[in-house]
Amino acid sequence: MNSNHGGRLFSTGIVVFAISIGALLFGRDTPAEATRSLSTIAETIRIEDSKGVSVAVRLPVRRLVVLTSDALEIVRALGAVDFVVGVYSDIEKNPLFWPTLKDRPKVGSWKAINYERVVELHPDAVLCYAQRPGREMEKKLEPFGIQVIRLDFFRIERLAKEIETLGRILEREKRAGALSAWYRRHLHHQRDMLKTITACPRVYIEGDSNYHTAGPGSGGNDMCLLAGGCNLAAKLSIPYPEVSPEWVVTGDPDVIVKITTRSICDSCYSMTERTPLKNISDRLMARPAWRHIGAVKKGRVHVIANEIWTGPRAIIGTSYLVKWFYPELSTEFDPEALHREYLESFQGIRHQGIYVYPE
Amino acid sequence: MQDICAQYRGAGTKKRLILLGLAVVLFGVALAAISQGASSVGFFDSFHAFFKASGIAHDIVWELRLPRIVMAILVGCGLGLAGSVFQAILKNPLASPYTLGMASSAGFGAVLAIIFGGGWCGHYLIAGSAFFFALLASLLILGIARYKSATPETMILAGIAIMFLFSALSSFLQYMGTVNEVHEIVFWFFGSLSKVGWREIGIAAVMILVPVPVLLKWSWDFNLLTAGDESATALGVNVIKIRMGGVIFASLITAAAICFTGVIGFIGLVAPHIARMVIGGDHWFLIPGSALIGAILVLTADTLGRTCWAPQIIPLGIVTAFIGVPFFFYLLMKKKREYW
Repeated sequence: MNSNHGGRLFSTGIVVFAISIGALLFGRDTPAEATRSLSTIAETIRIEDSKGVSVAVRLPVRRLVVLTSDALEIVRALGAVDFVVGVYSDIEKNPLFWPTLKDRPKVGSWKAINYERVVELHPDAVLCYAQRPGREMEKKLEPFGIQVIRLDFFRIERLAKEIETLGRILEREKRAGALSAWYRRHLHHQRDMLKTITACPRVYIEGDSNYHTAGPGSGGNDMCLLAGGCNLAAKLSIPYPEVSPEWVVTGDPDVIVKITTRSICDSCYSMTERTPLKNISDRLMARPAWRHIGAVKKGRVHVIANEIWTGPRAIIGTSYLVKWFYPELSTEFDPEALHREYLESFQGIRHQGIYVYPE
Repeated sequence: MQDICAQYRGAGTKKRLILLGLAVVLFGVALAAISQGASSVGFFDSFHAFFKASGIAHDIVWELRLPRIVMAILVGCGLGLAGSVFQAILKNPLASPYTLGMASSAGFGAVLAIIFGGGWCGHYLIAGSAFFFALLASLLILGIARYKSATPETMILAGIAIMFLFSALSSFLQYMGTVNEVHEIVFWFFGSLSKVGWREIGIAAVMILVPVPVLLKWSWDFNLLTAGDESATALGVNVIKIRMGGVIFASLITAAAICFTGVIGFIGLVAPHIARMVIGGDHWFLIPGSALIGAILVLTADTLGRTCWAPQIIPLGIVTAFIGVPFFFYLLMKKKREYW
């Protein structure tokens, strides 16, 4: 029995060795390919992507194309900037935030990826959203031995787990552990603080487009719930509906939160004055019949930049929300300090920019 | 001879009564619209609030519901009468403000403002840009028509070419846009009355209503144009002047109607057809008839869109198609004679 088992192991070893030698001698011509073929056998891990699909990933992943800013932020936080051989084209819109990555080769975006450019860069993997681009990407890149890793990094409740997954893939477990622990620590802190709260404020959340709110299933709704708010739109039918203005007025929210992607510079990271965000707030408060809303009467109309709303910095966004929803807890929260710590310790860039109005 | 005159006068009286009936229907729809909404301000509250000096119900009626209703009527009138003018001057039942590429060019203008508006492009910048590009499309058509000849075929082909050009340009800009910009663009193309207030209504009203007397004055010329260019010329109509003038005024009305609300399709095409079925082809009656039917359709669509799934709003452009298409088919099946 034992000798049989040993013999089988020996035979398997011989086969694996023979396949490896064959792959080296007769495989496709680049050394990277040969190495990858070896890894296929020697180092494959299974991960769960953001759709909950179990995927095999061949290691090592040392050449990476990143199609989303959220993923790129996490790659940088894990200290794996050197692995990035290609980036999404819109990176040029935010050069200050990406000083070392903005000049890397561009490969299009999640909307339309330039496959030829990707293949030219010989990446080990492409990092993108769970849903976009579609599954045709795997079919197109598979013949070239390029793997597709689908991790979102925009749902706050999955963020820590996704960071740890990417840490395993990039073999940066230690940094990933530190970052996910940082997230969990601050999430727990927020939850502990909110345990003492009995009544939650009614909140109206609005996206860039007027009267487009955050319904069930949207990131905004998750953020609001996490920060202890009662979202007016939580019981609606769709994630991003346009709602009737009179419903907002008679709903009489205690707090209004407007998310904006608008800035006078490339991004809020480049902004130096609050006037643009103040203008948005002023326009909101001057809307027809809004003077009847409690939030407007009490000046609790807040504007928040998309950069800290959903995505890797959502924890900073929720900290601001808690501060706005529960002013009595404001001494417990310093979102700006949290943001500074994140940018300087994990992203390795200076803390700057304007992200909220009023604070 | 006297019999014919008496018959014509009789027909005219009947058509005036139909117009009056349409106006009464529109008034009824407006009353229903003012009493319905996503808030608790119901039927009697709304009429009570209408005459009150202040309060939340008063503001909901006067600042939220009434501007929507007035703008819906204006936009519907504008699209309906612009459609009837385009169908007359181009002698084409498929002609509408969209056939000549006005919607796609206005859309391009809006997309341009959303993407390159410096991040702070307000509502007026989007509206102004949409208005400018809608008129630019008509100027391009007029230029081509002057250079070649102002035949309906030339104008329609030029319009279709412009429509595809601006659609492609809009798609290219969307491709460059961020997720949020694309979201805003998509909703602009759906059409919405949520962003209109009394100021927008004032601007749109002037641009939509000022050309109406001129178009009514030309109504007999439009009648003759439908008989063919040669017949119209033989009867003393300056075909080129009427066609060019018609395009300019109808374009101005279309641009004014859609620049604040986004694209509201189908009304400009279908309202004149419905009007023709119920009132006949005489443009003296057809133009106001198309305007009233357009207004009824847009107001009904908007009221349904904001109430049947309240507080969620179904975009106006979607509802106009939902209610307009079946109604149009119904009339088409019921009609016993050719009307075009």
